[in-house]
Order: sequence, then C-alpha cells, then structure tokens
Amino acid sequence: MSERGVNMSSMTADSGIDRPPSARPARPAMDLRALLLDHAPFLVACLMLVVIVAVYGSLQSGVFSLDELNLDTTATLTLLLAATGQTIVLMRGGIDLSIGGMVSFGTVLAATRFGGDPGSVILWSAIILAIGFAVGAVNGLLISTLKLQPFLITLATWSILSGASLIVLPTDGGQVPAWWQDFGSAAWLGLASPVWLLILLLVLWYWFRSTRLGIAIKATGSNERSAFLSGVSLTRINLVTYGLSGLFAAAAALYLTTQTGAGSPTIGKDYILPSVAAAVIGGVSLFGGRGSLAGTAVGAFILTIIGNLVFVLHISSYWQPVAQGVILLIAVLASSLAEKAARGQDQ
Amino acid sequence: MDLLEVNGLVKRYGGIVALGGVDFSARAGEVHALLGENGAGKSTLIQILAGAVRHDGGRIRLDGADYAPVNPDEARARGIAAVFQELSLVPDLTVEQNIWFRREPLSRLGTVRGKALRARTLALLDRYGFPHLAPEQEVRRLTLAERQIVEIAKGLASDPKILILDEATSTLPAREAEWVLNLTRQLAGEGRLVVFISHRMGEVRHIADRLTIFRNGETVAAHEANAVSDDVIVSQMLGRKLARLYPERRATATGRLALEVEHLTVGKRVHDVSFALREGEVLGVGGLQGHGQRELFQGLFGAARVKGRLAIWGKPVAINSPRQALTGRDGLALVPEDRRGQGLLLSKSVRENLTVAVIRRFARRGLLSQRKEAALVKEMVDFLRIKAATAEQPAGTLSGGNQQKVVFGKMLLTQARILMLYDPTRGVDVGTKGEIFQLMRDLAAQGYAILFYSSDLPELVHVADRVLVMRNGAIATTLEGDANTEEGILRAAVFEKQAA
Amino acid sequence: MSAFWARNRLIVLAYAAMLLLLLVTSLFSPGFLAESNLRSIVVLAAFVGIVALGQTFVIIGGGIDLSLPWVLNSSAILMTLIANGQDGPLLWVIPLMLVAGAGIGLINGVGVAMFGVPPIIMTLAANVILQGLILVYTGGTPPPAAPPLIQFLAVGRFGPLPVIAIIWAVLAIIAWVLLSRAAFGRYLYALGTSRTVADYSGVPTLRTIILSYVISGSMASLGGMLLAGYSGQAYLGMGDPYLFTSVAAVAIGGASILGGSGHYVGTIAGAFVLTILGGLLPALRLSSGALLIVYGVVILLTVAVGSETFGGLRTLLLRRRRN
Repeated sequence: MSERGVNMSSMTADSGIDRPPSARPARPAMDLRALLLDHAPFLVACLMLVVIVAVYGSLQSGVFSLDELNLDTTATLTLLLAATGQTIVLMRGGIDLSIGGMVSFGTVLAATRFGGDPGSVILWSAIILAIGFAVGAVNGLLISTLKLQPFLITLATWSILSGASLIVLPTDGGQVPAWWQDFGSAAWLGLASPVWLLILLLVLWYWFRSTRLGIAIKATGSNERSAFLSGVSLTRINLVTYGLSGLFAAAAALYLTTQTGAGSPTIGKDYILPSVAAAVIGGVSLFGGRGSLAGTAVGAFILTIIGNLVFVLHISSYWQPVAQGVILLIAVLASSLAEKAARGQDQ
Repeated sequence: MDLLEVNGLVKRYGGIVALGGVDFSARAGEVHALLGENGAGKSTLIQILAGAVRHDGGRIRLDGADYAPVNPDEARARGIAAVFQELSLVPDLTVEQNIWFRREPLSRLGTVRGKALRARTLALLDRYGFPHLAPEQEVRRLTLAERQIVEIAKGLASDPKILILDEATSTLPAREAEWVLNLTRQLAGEGRLVVFISHRMGEVRHIADRLTIFRNGETVAAHEANAVSDDVIVSQMLGRKLARLYPERRATATGRLALEVEHLTVGKRVHDVSFALREGEVLGVGGLQGHGQRELFQGLFGAARVKGRLAIWGKPVAINSPRQALTGRDGLALVPEDRRGQGLLLSKSVRENLTVAVIRRFARRGLLSQRKEAALVKEMVDFLRIKAATAEQPAGTLSGGNQQKVVFGKMLLTQARILMLYDPTRGVDVGTKGEIFQLMRDLAAQGYAILFYSSDLPELVHVADRVLVMRNGAIATTLEGDANTEEGILRAAVFEKQAA
Repeated sequence: MSAFWARNRLIVLAYAAMLLLLLVTSLFSPGFLAESNLRSIVVLAAFVGIVALGQTFVIIGGGIDLSLPWVLNSSAILMTLIANGQDGPLLWVIPLMLVAGAGIGLINGVGVAMFGVPPIIMTLAANVILQGLILVYTGGTPPPAAPPLIQFLAVGRFGPLPVIAIIWAVLAIIAWVLLSRAAFGRYLYALGTSRTVADYSGVPTLRTIILSYVISGSMASLGGMLLAGYSGQAYLGMGDPYLFTSVAAVAIGGASILGGSGHYVGTIAGAFVLTILGGLLPALRLSSGALLIVYGVVILLTVAVGSETFGGLRTLLLRRRRN
C-alpha cells in the first residue's frame, strides 16, 4: 500500500493558475480605509475631545487659549501619570489595581517625610519613586512565579498598600513645603511645567516603544505564548511592566502633592478605574498589544474636561460620572465596531 | 562525525515517558525526515532540540560539542531554529517586526532602525524566493498560510545551521507547499541540515535524503530514503502490518435527500454554492486550501452568516447559530477544524465534554440526572473506544487521536444524522485515522449523511463516494466513481476549464 | 475519595482556613466562640455572602461585576426613600428593587454578551453611571431611616437563628442547585472555560451570560436593602467595600478569576474568612490599616495555594504538547 501525498511537480508554476485572494500577492500597501480602521478608537477619542472642547468653548470664553491648556493639563496630569503606568500594563495584557494604593502611599510618605529642606525632599522623592518601582516589580514577580491573574494579585497589593498608607497617616493631613506646591504654576515659554511634563512623557513614550523592550512588551500583550516561544522572558517583562506602573503611580502621587499640599491615605482609589477608563477611551485594548500614550492622554483630558463642561452647564456635578461612563461605553463600542469592520474587510 | 547526534534521550512528563531513550543522528547538507504516529515522540524531540523543553536523560551533541539548551534563545544562538505547527507570531506586530523579533537592528539610542530593518527583510525574502509578503503588514491581517510563511522567514532570520520544520506544509496551498519543499533542498545545498516532519509521504519522498522512524518514544530505524519502501515505513511506524488504511467502500447511499443547499453565499468566501447530500452518503469536499471550504462548513453550521436556502430531510430550515443546528435527529453537527480551540473544554473532564451539547437529554425540568449522564458517557466511550483512565480525566491530557474521538462523541450524542467533519484526521495518528474512516462508513451504512473536508487527496479518493471540488468559493466540479481520482481532483482545483 | 479531593480541593482548603482562623482568633479573644458572637459573625458574613453570590455566578461564567457597589447603594437609597419609614410599601418596593437590580444586570449582560463590551468596562461604566444618576436624583440628601420590617429581616431572630441567616441559607441552597444540578450551571461552567467551544457545542451562551448578570444585580440589590436595614439607614458609599470583599470571597473560595471553575460553596467559606478576619482586628488590637494589609496577604496566600504550588492542572496542560 502506498500513501502518496500531493505531487505537484507536474503542475508548473505559471500555467494560468487561478489563485484565491488569500494566496495572491498581498494587498497594495495599506489603503486609507484599513489605516483608518486600525486607528479608529484613537480617532474616535480625538473626535470626542474636539466636540467636548468645542461645546465647552462655546459656553465659556477663553477656552481656546494657552491659559486654558495650562490649567487643564495641570488638572489632568495626576490621572495621566497614573494612566501612563496603566497603559503599559494594559499593553502587556494585564491590569494594575494596586496603583490606587501606591498613589495614596506616595502622598502620605511625602506629606510626612518631606520636611522643609530641599535635600530631604529630593531624597524622599527618589525613595518614593524607588518604592513605586519596587512594589510594582514585586507584583510582576508574583504574577510570573505564581502564575496568577494580575487582577487578583494587584487587588491584594492594593489592599496591602492602602493599609500601609493608613498606618503611616490615618487621616488626611501632613505637609509639603510651599515651594514644592509651586511646581504647578511654574512656567517656561508660556507653558506651565505640567505641560512640559506632558511633552516629555510623549517624547519618552515614542522613544520607548521603538526599543526592543517596548516592542517585546507589546508583543507579550498581543500573544503571550508567541512571545514566550520567541524567547521573551515573561518574568523580566512582568517585572519591568508592573515596575514601571508602580513608578508612574508614585510619580502621580508626587505630582498630586504639589496640587493638594497634603497626603491622603484614601485618595488613590479614585484613580484606579479612571486610569483604565482613560486608556480604554484612548484606544488601548484591554486584551493587550494595541494602544498608545497619545490616546491615553486624549482619554485623560476627556475625563477631566467633562468636569469643566458640567460646571459650565450649571448642572449638578453628579452628572460628571454619568458622562464619563457613557463616553467610556461609546469608546468601547466604537472600537469593537471598527474591529468587526476591519475583520469583515479581510474576509 | 554528524552535525547532530542524539543518544539515549529521555523525557518524562510525570508518570508518562514521552521519550524512552531515543537515538538520532543527522548530517549537515541533508534533508532528514522524522516519521512516526502522533505521540511517537517526534514533537518532544524537536521541542528539546529547540530549547522549549528540557530533557531528563541522555545526551545531545551539536557539531561535536555538548548541547543542552535552557531556553529557545540558547538554541537559536547555537544555530538551531524551529518552525513549529504552533505558530509563534505576534499578531499586532508587522511581518518584518515578527521576522526580526528581538534581533532588530538598533540605533545608538536603542531604537529600531526602520530602513535597515526593511532592507534586511527584503534581502532575506529575495534570497530564498519567498512568495510575496508585505513587510509592513500587521500579521493579524494575514491568512493562516501567509503566517506559516512568515514563520519560516523568522526561522531563517537567525541564519541557522539546523532548521526544523514541523508539518510546515499542512496549512499551505499547493504552490506554496511546493516552494517549501524546494526551499528545503536549497537550504540543504547551502550546507544546512533540515529536519522535516510531515505526515505526507509524497512530500517526504520528494525531498528527504534520510529518514528516521519513531514509535512509542523510541527510535525504530533510520534509512536512506531511496532504500526503503512505503510498506516498510508504515509497518515500522505502526509496529504491525496495516491491513488496510481505507475501509471497504460499499454503496450505502439511498435516494433520500438529507441536506439540500441552494445558492449558498457566505461572506466574501463562498459564492452561490448548491449541492445535495444523500442519506447514507459520504460526500467529500476538496480543493486547494483557502478556497472557501472552511466558510462553507461554518456557514452550514450556523457559525457564520449565510444567504441562500437550506433544507434538511426535505424541510426548509434557517440556521443562524450552532445551537439552531444541533436540534437532535433532524439537526446538523460539526466536528470543527481546531479541536483544542473549538471542540474541547480542555480543563474539563471527558464526561463533561461529551455531554455538553446534549444537556437536555439528561435533564428533567431543569435538573440533571447523573445516572443518565453516566449512561450516555459510557455508551460513547465504548462505541468509539476512547482511551482514557476514567471519564473524569481532563480532556486536555488525552492524545490527539483520543481528543478527536471525544469531539466526535459529543456530536454523535446529539443524534444529528447529518455529520460535517472538517479535516477530521489532521494531526491524528495513522491507527486512529483508520478507525475514523471506518466509523464514517459505518455511520453512513446506518443512514447517516456525512460531509467531510480533507486536505489529503488520497482520503477523498478512497473514503468519499463523491467529491465536490471547490475553487474560489464555488464548486468547480463534482467527481464520482471513476472520475474520483487524485489527478481529477487536482485538475478541477487548479484549472479553469474541465475536459468534457 | 481522591476524586472528591481532586475536584474540591480548593473549597476544602478554604473551609480549613476558616476553621483555623476561628481557632486562632478565639485564642486571642476569649468569648469569641460565644453564641452571641458567632451569631453576629454569621450575620456579617451573610451580607458578604449574599452580594458575593451574584459575583460567584458572574466570575464562573468568565466575567466580573464591578457595578455591585452602586446597585447595592441605589437599591438601599431608593427603598428607604420610597418606603419613607413605613412597612406597608415594602410589600411592593422590595420586589421592585429586586427587579430593578435584575434590570441593571440585564443591561450589563446584554452589553457583555451581545455587544462584546469587556465585562470590566461594561460594569464599571454601569457603576459610575448609576452613581451619578442616583446622586442627581437625590441631590445627595440623606434618605429617611429604614422601615422596621427590613430592620427585622436584617437583625431580627427567628428562635435562635438570625432571620438573615435563614434567607442566606435558602439562597445558598438555590445557588448550589443551580450550579451543581441544573443545566444552567453546566452551561455557565462551559462558557467560562471557553466561550468559543460553548458556542460550537450549542450552549445558549447569550442567555446564560445575561442570566448570570441578572442574578448578580438582584443579589446586590437584596444585599443593599438588607444592609440598610442593618445600619438603620442608607448612606452614600455603603456599597464600596463590597466590591473588594465580593471578589475576595469568590477568590478565597477557590474560583478561578478567569472563569470555568469554582463554586458558591467555596464563596461561603470565603465570606466567613473575611468576616472572621474582621473580628481579628479588635482582638489583636490592629488598626484598620493593618486589617487591610492582612486582607491582602490572605488573598495572596489563598490564591498561591490554589495555584501551581500544588501541582495545578494548568502546568500539566501547558507542558504536555502533542501533535
């Protein structure tokens, strides 16, 4: 008995073979429609921001000015810093709930340890950032070695950090030096320092995502198994990803103290879900592998400017969370529609 | 001295011995084929060679030096690259990003140099005559066949001394498969070693210099390819003489129509397909891969949106979901393409998998009867001879062939008399293949109507009563009787005009 | 016997942890095992248990419900507002609130099942939208005290047994039947293991997902009303702690956060573990901060124990690759 397989050598290559679309030379380099669909979530977010700002601007004078940009960036930056870390983790395909605890912990440490001496402030800022990275790295390590879900691990570390915050500072209070609080109002070339910080963040992001590490993080989020088979050390990726998340949460805490001038052991929990929301609105995929900081920034701005809009419309401020929730749903539905359309195109 | 020497290699998974002392050696400049049933140890061996898994005993020497890689990186650094059946591509990265993943050319700032990346990619693709690929295309937009090709490019990117190809052609259309076969000879000509695993004897004959046969985790024999017959190979693979792979085919079709399909269109992939399937008939679907066969089956099963008319046992029906398809005796069942991703709940027991589609059969007023369930499970395990320690064993721990049997059993329990099987013997060992073919004919004799797709021409020729050959989403021709030959199917699949 | 252990290992461990904790706490706090104290533990655990019942179903099905806090809170506020201290209206207000909670669950379920919105996002959005709407409606003014009947249901007794414990027990039995002996349970486990495979097997996935969220919404609503009865009134933020505790109870009970495994029987143990830990606080003279730390560590320990360290199934599946 002979089991002959396919023998194609008698069929010459170019004898008018009629080939299915799937085997023809690949489609001409990305047409406009495919490009739009790929970036649809981000574009929708930009559109929403434009609409919101336009409405806001029509009701309030002076919106389209540098002053307004400075003000809004100053108000948004805490969320944005927290959301930056969350963006990295989401790209990796995980989630970090512990940033809530880290933000609280950072503020209480700052408020109790800074003192007045610039040297001590700098030292403790460095320590807080280091703690942020270290705790995050521990998250990453636990996730890797115990092979457990990020949701649960970061839920647990959030609890631990919140508890630690309460122990250091049981109620809101503490003190940071007045000059530290002036950070927000310092300006250069007409732009407030938070705006410069935003620019720096974006520049850093665009550098990071072109490095091997940045690509590896995106790859791990896109398909963890493939990344592993390609030799990526999941432990190292988790360590770096969650470490960075903790670092940015600590940075958010430090920035927050320049705004509030005090520490709070419970403030952090208000940033957890908004940090995810900002990223998702901006087009970061919850499944990993897709997204950008520019999108997250747009998402963060949308969430804060909604507050301005609500105020200016003279409606109850309680409408703010409603609007935020609705925008979040719109963003997700838009992105899933775009995904379906893109897939339909490939069929 | 051979480039690669493996002596007494041992690998255990808990109590199971995957490799029980394997010897293997291969030379530079040759194409060496590995043959053996599923579970024979070929996969385990190459996983060890590729650094994905550590061995427990024995020794490997590469180029005269000891070789015991701790991870795939080390394997690649030592010059071994593997292209597995399980693809390792990252969907959200582009083709070129995937090919050079972790090996991208960097600038002084640590960022990837785009121009250099593109140049390297094009150079690689040109050198080996790759079918056309757009380097900037995101992999998630590529078809399975295109991804397989990118995977091969990725393997070559590390300039390996040894390239391992595991079933590299099974997802490729004929032209690309031919290119792969030629590629192996080109690589061998460059002084590399190509280790080639395939279940397609024709391909193996076409390119291999030598072959090594495995069975039950041990090496059975190694031969020069042109010095051994197919019969010897198969009997060494099986350890026994195979009387007949294909069952006797008797005319079991009646006149009664089980399934009538009229003007079926599925998305952009299937256009205006019409055919009829009779009671007792085994109807094969063939053609080159990617010509709409998968979409046809999914459309019929309700897993994809369709336009057109369907009638089952004479009654017009509309099937919009698998749930609507699986309605008992008058239903339509599908054994899907991907048993691990579409067919089985891997972490659940054999019992739960078998009964998940027919909960209604052992539930009364919403409550389940464990006794009735156990009876159904026993019936199917016995009928199909499913080899599992107990029915509580997780389905993910069974062998490929037994997993396929569980999926079969699940669909048989639904009592649907129209069975659709998509490539039912892919990745299944020869022994179980024979059982599956016999099962198909037995069921047909009992009045079932069977529609099956196979990428393997001999299967279609020997098991099906008729064959629908699809090309470009439509039925090019229907072959039966004397016209049902491998060449006939191939011609219909490939050429526009048919001889009258 | 070993089959039982293999299937229910994590649940047994959860109960073992519960008993151990009980013992340890009683060592530090004499009188901890007194009848009246045990009774109050059961009452407190009941709240967690009832809210976590819904969360259990949703998590087994592969989702998560982050809208519990404000479904709970809204239900409490609306009930007390409408009833205005009177028992009479409760006759229709309680069912109405349960239906409302189910309605929110329905919306969540539809969003997740039919529109493909990830559960985290859908329920998160539902939570904040509900929060905003309720606050707009009430203007933030505190609602009146809870009617006596609901207070009785929350803290009253039927002989030696707290009424709420009876309610909890009835719900627990129903949950057990649904998960272990009903078609719905099988569908839920299949769906949580792999939605694709469930679809290809004819499982009514849409219906099952939606039903799991409906259960969750109504249980959160019930929990809110009872909690208002317990505290004597509804207040803002009363639901917030229950997000963490409901997920923690389910996780401690051995369910996988990814879905497909676990059981309400385990969640019950989880609810007790958390409640007893809460009693450990005054016993050890720990501050509330320290308690949070303990909670976190306990979750880490329990999920670590349930994972690879005990030869988890996943290692076996991941390592065994076949052609």
